[in-house]
Amino acid sequence: MALAGANPLDGFAALLSGALGGPRQLAETLVQTTALLFPALAVAFAFRAGLFNIGAEGQLVVGGLCAGLAGASLVAPGYVAIPLVLAAGAAGGACWGAIAGFLRARFGASEVIATLMLNVVALLLANYLVSGPLRAPGAQGPETALLPAAAWLPVVARGTRLTLAFPLALLLAGLLRFVFARTVFGYELRAAGEAPEAAARAGVALRRVAFTAIALSGAIAGLGGATIVAGTLHRFNVSLSPGYGFVAIAVALVGGLDPLRIVLAAFAFGILQSGSLTMQALAHVPKDVVSIVEGLAILALAARRVVAPRIATA
Amino acid sequence: MSAAGGAALALHGVGKVFAGGTAALSNVDLALAPGEIHALCGENGAGKSTLAAIAAGRLAPSAGRVERAGRVGLVHQHFELVERLRVWENVVLGREPRRGLRVDAAAARESVRTLARAHGLEVDPDAVVETLPVGVAQRVEILRELARDPRVLILDEPTAALAPGEIETLFATLRSLAARGTAILVITHKLDEVLGHAARVTVLRGGRVVMRATTDATSAAAIARAMVGGDVAPLAARAALTPREGLTVRSLRAGNGAQALAGVSFAVRRGEIVAVAGVEGNGQTTLVDAVAGTIPYAGEMSLGGRVLAPGDPAARIATGVRTIPQDRRREGLVLTWSVADNATLGDQARAPFARGGLRDARAGEAFARDIVERFDVRVPSVRTRAAALSGGNQQKLVVARALAHDPALVVAYQPTRGVDVAAAALVRSRLIEARNAGAAVLLVGFELDELLALADRLFAIYRGAFVAEYARADFDRARIGAAMAGAA
Repeated sequence: MALAGANPLDGFAALLSGALGGPRQLAETLVQTTALLFPALAVAFAFRAGLFNIGAEGQLVVGGLCAGLAGASLVAPGYVAIPLVLAAGAAGGACWGAIAGFLRARFGASEVIATLMLNVVALLLANYLVSGPLRAPGAQGPETALLPAAAWLPVVARGTRLTLAFPLALLLAGLLRFVFARTVFGYELRAAGEAPEAAARAGVALRRVAFTAIALSGAIAGLGGATIVAGTLHRFNVSLSPGYGFVAIAVALVGGLDPLRIVLAAFAFGILQSGSLTMQALAHVPKDVVSIVEGLAILALAARRVVAPRIATA
Repeated sequence: MSAAGGAALALHGVGKVFAGGTAALSNVDLALAPGEIHALCGENGAGKSTLAAIAAGRLAPSAGRVERAGRVGLVHQHFELVERLRVWENVVLGREPRRGLRVDAAAARESVRTLARAHGLEVDPDAVVETLPVGVAQRVEILRELARDPRVLILDEPTAALAPGEIETLFATLRSLAARGTAILVITHKLDEVLGHAARVTVLRGGRVVMRATTDATSAAAIARAMVGGDVAPLAARAALTPREGLTVRSLRAGNGAQALAGVSFAVRRGEIVAVAGVEGNGQTTLVDAVAGTIPYAGEMSLGGRVLAPGDPAARIATGVRTIPQDRRREGLVLTWSVADNATLGDQARAPFARGGLRDARAGEAFARDIVERFDVRVPSVRTRAAALSGGNQQKLVVARALAHDPALVVAYQPTRGVDVAAAALVRSRLIEARNAGAAVLLVGFELDELLALADRLFAIYRGAFVAEYARADFDRARIGAAMAGAA
C-alpha cells in the first residue's frame, strides 16, 4: 500500500471498516464469503481426489446460466421453484465438470488443461446465448429474463443482500466434512488422491472416482452459480462472477482443503473482496492491491507445498 | 584433518542428536585401515546411514570428531544419479573437462571409458541412465565416486536390488579396489555377504557399537544376535498337508517390453508356497499385477475352480486374493494416513469396517490394534501416521493386513525387502503359517536364500517365461542361479 502512495494503516482501517464496520457491511462481506465458499468447496472436493479442477469458474457460470433459464420460465410456489432452480444450477455445473471428468477417465486427458479450457468455452458460450438467442426481450444488457419473485432465495438478514445461500453453504461445508471422514466414498476418494497406486490395489476404481469427483465438484460450483442468480442478481448476467472460481483455488488451499477451515478462509477473502472498494474510496489505495495480496497468498502456498519438502529432504 | 595412525578414516566418540532430541548415534569409535573391506551391520534404525553420512562429511556430528586421510565417497542405497543424463555426463557432473565455454565431451567420454576399464566396471558411457538396469546404474554411481579418487568408499546397502550374479561382480570390483589401497565400508544386513567378503565387522544397535570382530573369528548367528540383541526366532515349522486346488493360470500374456509375459501357465495349490525366482525386470512385476488384477491380461485365471475376471481388483480381494506389493510406500500404504485407516485399506467397503456406505472407525481401530499386536508392529498408537513408522514396521503392517483375513491366495513380492533380520524372520514365519492354514502362496523375488527356505516348489523366470521348475527335494542353488541367468 505504501508503494501505491497511501498510508498503509489508513488503508487497513478502511478495508476493515468497509468489510466489518456495521451490520450492513458485515452482511455484504458474508455475501462475498458465500460466493467464494461454493467454488472453494468444489475445488477442495476435486483436490482431495488428487484432481486439480481449475474450471470452477466455468462450472459456476454454466450453473448460473441453467438456473437463470430454468427459473425464468418457472411458474410455481417458492418451495418448488427454489429447489428446482438450485437443482438446475447444480446439474448444469455437474454436466460441465463431467465433460472434463469423461475426458480424464476415458482418455487420461489432463483435467487441468480440460477444465481450464472449458472455462473459456463456458464464458463465451454463455455470452453468445444471452447476447443472442436467449436474450430477454427488452433487456438492457446480455442477460436472461428476471426470475419470478417466488424463485428468489429468501433474505435472512433484513435490509441486506444476505440470503439463504449463506447457511446453505455452511451446511454444504459440514456435509463435505462428513463425506470425507465418515463415508466409504470419501475414504476411497482420499485414497485415490493421496496414493493412487495403493488405492488401485485396494480395489478403488480410479477412473470412476476421477469422473465422479470432477462431476460433483462441478455440481458444487454450479450450485454456487445458482445461488448468485437466485439470491442476488435474480437473473443470469454474464458478469455474475468477477472470478470467484479462480480466487476459490486460493481459498481452498489457504483452508488446507479442510471444509471447515475453508469457511474461515472464505471469510478472510470475503473481507478483502468487500472491503477493497471502501479502501479505494477512503484511503486511495487501488483495489487491485487486494488482487496482489491474493496472488501472493497463492505463491506463498505453492512455495510451501512444492519448495518446502525439497528443502526438508536436501 | 590428518590420518591418525595410518587409518584411512577414523571416528572418535562420534555422537549425533537430531532436532527433536532423537539420539541416532552415541559414542561411536570406528577406524578403517587402507585396503580393508569392513562391514557395518545393524537393524533398521540402528544408525548405519547416519554414520555413513557423518563419515562422508555430509552431516556434522553433535559430538566427537572425524579424521579423514582423503576424500570419502558415498554410494547411496537410493542412487543419486540424474536419470535423464548419459553415463559420462553423470560421472563428470560438477567437474566437467572444459574447452573454452563448452564441455569437452570427447575428453570426458574417454576419461570415463578409461576409468571403467581400469576398474573392470563394464558400462557404455553413452547410455542414458534411466534405461539402465539397477546393477549397471550402481556401477555408474561407483564410477562417479571413483572419478573423484577417494581414499574411502562407503556403500549403503549396495546389494539390496542386485541379482546373485551382480552381487558377485560387485564384490569382485570392491576386492580389486581394496587391493589398490582404498578402504571400503559396506553397510549391509545380509550376513553371508559380511562373512564372505569383509575382513572385519562392526555391529550397531540403537546407535551404539555392540560388537567388533574379525569375520574369521565370528559366526552369522553371533552377528545376528548382536544386531537383534537376543536370539532370532527360528522359522515356523512346515505342516505336512495335502494341497487343495488353488490358483490355476493358463497361457497368461500381459505387459509389454522387457516385462512382458509370454504365455505362462502354472498352478499354486492351497497349502503350498510356490516361488518365482528371477533377476529383476524379467516379468515379475507384470506377473504380480496380473494376478492381483490391476492390469489387463489375456489368458485364464481361476481360484478354487472359479474363474477370476480380469481388471477387477476389488472382486479379487472379495474372493480372498491378497497382495503384499513390492513397494510398500507407494503401492501398499497411504503414508499420510493413520495405521488404523491403512489397516482397513482393501476392506474399506466391507463389514465390520463399513455398513451402508458409512465407515465404522471404531471397528477399524480395533482391528488395527489386533493385527499390530499379532504381527509385532511397533507403533505408539494405531492413530500414528504410517509415514512415521520405520520401513520394517511399515512392511509388517502391510503383511499383517494381507494375512489377517484368512486369504485363499497370497501374492508376496519380495516381502522382506529392506527389512531387518528380526522383522524378516517374522514375515517369513507368518507366510509359512498362512500356508499351513491352507492359503496358496505365490512368492516372487530374487533373494534365493529366502525363496529356498520358504518354497515347496520353485519356478525360474527369465525374459517373461518360466524356464525351469524344481520341487523342494531337489533345490540346488547353482542350477537355479544358472536358470535365472537364462542358462537353463
